[in-house]
Amino acid sequence: MAAVRSLSKFFSLRSFSTTTKRAYADQMSFTFAAGNQVYYEAKSVKQVDVPSFSGSFGILPAHVPTLAVLKPGVVSVYEDSGNVNKIFVSSGTVTINDDSSVQILAEEAHPVANIDVGTARDILSKAQSELSSATNDQARAEAEIAIEVGEALVKAAE
Amino acid sequence: MTAWRQAGLNYINYSNIAAKLLRQALKPDLRADAIKRADTHIKITKWENGKPIKESTY
Repeated sequence: MAAVRSLSKFFSLRSFSTTTKRAYADQMSFTFAAGNQVYYEAKSVKQVDVPSFSGSFGILPAHVPTLAVLKPGVVSVYEDSGNVNKIFVSSGTVTINDDSSVQILAEEAHPVANIDVGTARDILSKAQSELSSATNDQARAEAEIAIEVGEALVKAAE
Repeated sequence: MTAWRQAGLNYINYSNIAAKLLRQALKPDLRADAIKRADTHIKITKWENGKPIKESTY
């Protein structure tokens, strides 16, 4: 009887120890750098919202590992202090690692408050006229990108 | 597939356009510096027999 008990104890201990828990940290180590400025360097934050080609999504400390390509738009960083920092990114990549570290690398990134609404509207209307006057596929594609960026800029600045 | 990819552009082109427009959309006091920073120049000089032949700036 004692042998059976110790055996069952052995199995229950064994099954307990082999239960694998994903090694998610309850904190996220966030790095955000652009060509013009480094905004965060391995800082702990609550949540980060990013605009990407696979849709806009929020990143929490327990997020699954992912790679995504950024779209022009606003990255919202929910800092531990409760402050929300909104930064406009032109483009770049976001990497979410297994250890809950997150890196955003952008070509150009500026606080939303630094965008001029009037200029953003001018950029959008100029892009729209470029699209109507485009004569080849490449010029048309470039104008379409400019419209997309212009719309994102206006939306962010308003 | 996106329209720009079909037209032969890639994400680097896309990124360059987006970054350029973002720099242009900044408030006037920040704009000048941002645009200046984006400019990169490469100067190439071809040499033959110890003499500079042709100089070009990109």
